[in-house]
Amino acid sequence: MQLSLRLKCLSVQPSRGLMDEKFIVLVQNALPGSQLTIRALHQCEDGHSWEAFGHYTADTTGTINVSEDPSIGGTYSGVEQMGLLWSFRPIPGSKSGLRMRKKNIQTPMEVTISVYQGHQTEGFADLVPLSGVAVERWYMAPGVRRIPVTEGGLTAALFLPSGPGPFPGLLDLWGGGGQLVEYRAALLASHGFASMAIDYLTAKITMETGKMVDNQYFETAYRVLQQHPQVCGSKIAMIGLSFGTSITLKMAVYSEVIKLSAAVCISGSHVQPVDGSVEEILRFFQKNGEKTRFSEKNEVIWRDLLLPIPTDPSLKVNVGRLQCPLLLVVGEDDQNWPSQESALDIKEMMARAGNSHLLTVLSYPNAGHLIEPPYTPHARSSTLKTVEIEEKVMCLWGGQTVEHSRAQEDAWKKMVVFLKENLYGGRNPTSFSHL
Amino acid sequence: MISIIFFNLYMPEECLYQKFSVLFVCVCIYMFVCFLTGEVRRKSSFRQSPLLSAAPVRALIDEQISIKGRFLSQNYPVTVCAQMHSEEGDLWEAFAHYTTNASRSINLTSDHSVGGSYLGCEPMGLFWALEPALRSREGLRLRKRNVETPYIVNISLLEGHTSPSEGQSTELAAVTVERWYMAPGVRRIEIRQNKIVGTLFLPPGPGPFPAMLDLWGMGGGLSEYRSALFASRGFASLSVAYMGHKDLPGPPDIMSVANLYFKSAFQLLQDHCQVDADRIGVIGLSFGVCLTLRIATRIGVKPSCLICINGPVGSPLLDEDGKTKTIESDQKHWELDDRGRVSFRHVSLPDNLPAENKQKVKNITCPLMYIVGEDDLCAASTENADVIEEALRSAGKSQLFTRLSYPGAGHLIEPPYAPCARVSLWRAKPEKCELKFSSHCILLRIQYIMVNKFAVGCFWVFLFVCFSSLQYSLCGEVTPHPTLLLKKIPGRGS
Repeated sequence: MQLSLRLKCLSVQPSRGLMDEKFIVLVQNALPGSQLTIRALHQCEDGHSWEAFGHYTADTTGTINVSEDPSIGGTYSGVEQMGLLWSFRPIPGSKSGLRMRKKNIQTPMEVTISVYQGHQTEGFADLVPLSGVAVERWYMAPGVRRIPVTEGGLTAALFLPSGPGPFPGLLDLWGGGGQLVEYRAALLASHGFASMAIDYLTAKITMETGKMVDNQYFETAYRVLQQHPQVCGSKIAMIGLSFGTSITLKMAVYSEVIKLSAAVCISGSHVQPVDGSVEEILRFFQKNGEKTRFSEKNEVIWRDLLLPIPTDPSLKVNVGRLQCPLLLVVGEDDQNWPSQESALDIKEMMARAGNSHLLTVLSYPNAGHLIEPPYTPHARSSTLKTVEIEEKVMCLWGGQTVEHSRAQEDAWKKMVVFLKENLYGGRNPTSFSHL
Repeated sequence: MISIIFFNLYMPEECLYQKFSVLFVCVCIYMFVCFLTGEVRRKSSFRQSPLLSAAPVRALIDEQISIKGRFLSQNYPVTVCAQMHSEEGDLWEAFAHYTTNASRSINLTSDHSVGGSYLGCEPMGLFWALEPALRSREGLRLRKRNVETPYIVNISLLEGHTSPSEGQSTELAAVTVERWYMAPGVRRIEIRQNKIVGTLFLPPGPGPFPAMLDLWGMGGGLSEYRSALFASRGFASLSVAYMGHKDLPGPPDIMSVANLYFKSAFQLLQDHCQVDADRIGVIGLSFGVCLTLRIATRIGVKPSCLICINGPVGSPLLDEDGKTKTIESDQKHWELDDRGRVSFRHVSLPDNLPAENKQKVKNITCPLMYIVGEDDLCAASTENADVIEEALRSAGKSQLFTRLSYPGAGHLIEPPYAPCARVSLWRAKPEKCELKFSSHCILLRIQYIMVNKFAVGCFWVFLFVCFSSLQYSLCGEVTPHPTLLLKKIPGRGS
């Protein structure tokens, strides 16, 4: 009688963590051998609900440890410590094409993790959970400060780590969807980099004047970051995803003002009219618009727009001239950009030019285009409104959920190490002694 | 180097052999030096700068935080320093001296402090050893009023063995840590109904939850933090004020609420839809112990378990209806030391308590845990524990009694890792009541299980209680009431 009346105890440690931190979900005092479902529920800012769940069997001591015991069903299977987060999917009955992205990163992502009797797959809203725990996941570590940046016509947000500094700097660029996307910069600031997220496609100045920004916009951002009293001006890196890669490579190679200590390019390409402005590059992509394909579900596939990789040097960033370490992160199932083909071409170009020691390529089979911070739920496709097209389209990003989630975890870890090595302990030519 | 080579090349022919041997030696030396500097260059060009990390970086007050410093030099003296501002704006600090080992790192969970606010291996020393900074106001005690926000503690790694007041050393790395009384999802509900003045904390989730009624001492006011922490650990918890609160009737220095008040509070918990009415316990500290025993025996409710911390089995101040006289009304057992500091210990010696004031412990029907600080100078805890134990034993109920007794622990046994209050100003006039502080601090952690065999159903309560320090303190809790802070008047014998 005593056993069955013991409270089933569900605990999540830590209950408040950073977005890339692992947690341990533990169920105790369950009946040995009983079947339980552990479920995570999150309601995001736009009101959509997401859920993930795993089916477990309690062991002989009546305990389930999600980091050690396998899930035998649900939205993920096997031993997956963080499966409850990365396998999030919209609850049944939701709209299609949703993607989970946090806009206000000064508040945490609130996830409710509960445990239910038996192996449930649906109708959770009508069931009474045996126990529940609220968990907070933060993009900003304690002490990280957010400073909106508007000088020089910029639309940006700077995140400063806690502590006195000075910190190495980072410019953070996203892709064709535009908007000011802050979460990755906030998370990188939580790791010790003064990070500035920049909106360069839907910036205030573009919305007001109708004109796209020019190269000077990025150089202004660089200068603002460099001149900040808590930023170490000689250690600034740039990170870009998708279209942001095009900008990053361009600035790294051709800009007179921007001198990067490292560059990270995720899911992008070096194919672009050399020395073109943002507008010219976008028009170049649009020219090839007829190469757009559609999947059976009528999802847009844009990867062919830049294929085949041209041999004409005026259509590719001359990566042979790159002088800083470059990390390329590639999803081999990227359906939006030809990142794998571009990575191979970049490798070849750099080998010919003799600077291939600067290149590191992380290539993930079955990972898609949106390689985001770890445990972000995978969206194989979602609705997108780019700056060029008026209406929303359903865009195919690619990737298989399990491999894509592993790729996100691995890529992030290696990215942070790469940035730390190059920004915190990199080579400083002026310190060499002369013999 | 180049000039030596050229000089050699231009030496006369007959010194050819010597020329080449000298040249050879020079080249060897040159290569060796290049190799060395190349090595040094390679090593120093990739040296990671010092890093201080805390895990978890946002934690509950009773959670251990593991602090590590990495990428330092070998056998290097460093100081780890914690600083925070209290709600009143005072700066509290703690620091400790460590020396790195061959792995060029320090780990506060395993390394030993060789100086500073604490010595030895103390993973949470930086938190419980916090003290007001130099030149702070006197009589400070750290108690959080607003439990919905965290304590923000800045932890820094300084070069060398220094103290933060010296302010000269270089800061190598820093990390900010948040310490919360409320876990995510815990709800705080203000209770002002049925004449009850209190705050209810509910754990996250649907419930139903076991519950605790939380009572503090004669300092009065409404302390919420222990209840918030209980709720973070799965117990619905109601803190009630019974004196010294603006929403309560009567003057602030006596208890004007009677037995009915506590009965209403208990029933409020029982009637709550998310509380399991058969699993409600009561916890009391100091004078709260007397009230706890009264609730268990006199007012017609049946708690499932009782926790008593450092309090008397009865009080001459408590009359039949449960109302009190002021503590200053009877000072014959007060003891003053030569600095004018008062100990109330003898007031609560069982021998000094009239028999009719002692609660009828033998009527208790649920498990009782008594926590004793053996060095309590505010209440005669050991003696009172003995009285309770004896009363239960002679009624054949000794299996209900559990005692936890800590040598060197003081009166205020509070939630873990909280900084010690060295001097605490209290309400009583005209003397100034001060703390005598002990010479060292001990940190203990207990986990105990209470089983209720008599309530309907079975009930397991897991409580984690930690002791923050060895401290002598006033009896009663200090809720500094600005108008009642007493003035310094020399006590007897000074």
